Amino acid sequence: MFLTKLAFKNLMRHRNRTLITAIIIAFAIFFYIIMDSMIGGMTEISYKNIIDYQAGHLQLVRDDYWEDKDGLSLENLLFVDQPKMSLLESIRGYKSSSPELNFHARLNNGINELPVIGKGIIPERFKEVFAFEDQFIEGSIFSSEENKVVMGKRLADLLKLEIGDYITLLVRDKNETFNTIEAEVSGLFHTSNPNVNSNIVYLPLKIAQQALNVDKQVSKIIVKLEDKDQAMVIADELESKLKRIDDDLSIYAWEELEAISVAGAKQMGNQLIMSIILIIAAIAIINTVILATLERMEEIGMMKAMGLQEKEIIYIFVLESTGIGILGGIMGLMLGAIGVWVFANYGIDWSVIVGNNVDISSFGIPVIGKMYGTWNLKAFIFVFSFGVIVSLLSSILPAYWAASKDPVKAIYHR
Amino acid sequence: MKRLIVVFICFIALIAAITTMVSAMTAEEIINRRDENEYIKVAKVEAEMVIINGRRKMSKNMLTFIEEDNSLTIFTNARDRGTKFLKRDDDLWMFFPEAEDIVKISGHMLNQGMMGSDFSYQDMMESDKLTDLYDFAIIGEEELNGRQCYVLEGVALDGKEVSYYRRKSWIDKERFIGLKEELYAKSERLLKVMNVKRVEQIDGRWYPVESVMENKLRKKTRTEFVIKSIKFNPKIPAGTFTLQNMQ
Repeated sequence: MFLTKLAFKNLMRHRNRTLITAIIIAFAIFFYIIMDSMIGGMTEISYKNIIDYQAGHLQLVRDDYWEDKDGLSLENLLFVDQPKMSLLESIRGYKSSSPELNFHARLNNGINELPVIGKGIIPERFKEVFAFEDQFIEGSIFSSEENKVVMGKRLADLLKLEIGDYITLLVRDKNETFNTIEAEVSGLFHTSNPNVNSNIVYLPLKIAQQALNVDKQVSKIIVKLEDKDQAMVIADELESKLKRIDDDLSIYAWEELEAISVAGAKQMGNQLIMSIILIIAAIAIINTVILATLERMEEIGMMKAMGLQEKEIIYIFVLESTGIGILGGIMGLMLGAIGVWVFANYGIDWSVIVGNNVDISSFGIPVIGKMYGTWNLKAFIFVFSFGVIVSLLSSILPAYWAASKDPVKAIYHR
Repeated sequence: MKRLIVVFICFIALIAAITTMVSAMTAEEIINRRDENEYIKVAKVEAEMVIINGRRKMSKNMLTFIEEDNSLTIFTNARDRGTKFLKRDDDLWMFFPEAEDIVKISGHMLNQGMMGSDFSYQDMMESDKLTDLYDFAIIGEEELNGRQCYVLEGVALDGKEVSYYRRKSWIDKERFIGLKEELYAKSERLLKVMNVKRVEQIDGRWYPVESVMENKLRKKTRTEFVIKSIKFNPKIPAGTFTLQNMQ
């Protein structure tokens, strides 16, 4: 107990040193927490972008279609019939659903051509599932009966298309025969999903079905749920009921999409960056603790001369370092909490940082307007423990080295 | 007497009509005669492709070996030297020397213009006889570039996988060679037009040696295809149409 009290007194006695070392640890912790919150915010936005503009929460497809879903084959399509719709509407948390027919096409403006993905949709149902409503910067979406298309402003700019212009989509129907769809551009949108902005042309489902000669079939039915976190569980629940309708049908949650895996892979990259931050923080902490220990060489010599054992001296130093770690950790957590609170509530406006004319999504940051941070309690606990443990461990070696010295040499070590 | 003359004239006219009907060729016969000229079983071709897009003009030279459903094209001009295309039955591979990798071209990629030309990969892939894919009918006779032609229309046969739903062909009545072809989408939109500029008699058969393909969905582009030399039925070394031979 005496040694513990002594360690505590030492901390109080060298207030400045304690505070400076603690502040260094606090900054390392603060920086980690803010970075974690930012990466969390970006990941959330990436997921939201995929869900809100492309994938929805659940996708009902045929198994064979899913196996080669990127091929956008016109084989293995499905009919939107009553049994399937009743089943989908009966699932808990169901909000809405939208069928879509996906196909490869070449978008032609009469002079140039670009490969695009065509999506036949029912606009009324599409609007209930996807968040396109406020994303139109010119014009609006078509009605089911209109021979019109909508596309991203970026894609339109590439082909110098404007509202009211006519485009030709060159497609291949189910028999691999060329067909064309001629339609007027009725709306241009700009979402926070760069893929949607530059690769996809939306048109009425009926027109797409007719041009592709696929009867009334669609590639998939996209379902929106009340809670995205329930998607996986609901998909599992639904699977067996679906098999009763048609053994070849399957339902996939958004987490199972390849795009999500890619976002997950990016997350791994982010974890690497975070690890580097932690290593830098650890080096800073180790450096500070070692210097603080070496600075007190005479004190260690004096303690030995007064009869303290090596292990007791090491104990005092380790305890002091741990105390500094705890103090720095608490300060870092408080700073981090304030930072994350500000970030989560007020966000960062990228347009202010990079300028209004620059589309930040083209740099791979899928954000339009503000980006908000996320709270991650696990990160708080982890980084606090990390700071304390590093402080503790980094003091052992210099303390041991100093404590093992001859007291006279330690006192006169200069 | 007058009555006898009228009967005689009618008889002669009837005979003439029957003779004409009997000697008139059917659409299938015309296409088959054309195929006899144009369909290649085995050949070695040296050709130049000139891609014209607005003011830009690109020239590509190539050497092609053809054997039934297989073909190998090797580009020989400086910029594309070493680029190869291998077609085996319904599959197409491409080799770029810079990437040193063989890439299979499939699905929607086949719709793209080959090396930026107005010929799509799919155009190069279709090697079946036209009569196997289309139901042809004679829709008229016209003069084209000073040559009398049959005008035939082919509509894709049910269940057959063909790129163009309808094709309209102008076939030389005397030499049985296609002088012009219009290719239509199912929507009736004209997609491509091919005009044959020069025809030569090689090894006893007429063959188009200079033609121009225009993509009608795009303005200001066309591709000229000029055959510099063609040898029918040469001996093609074994292993020519293998993936190993591409690298």
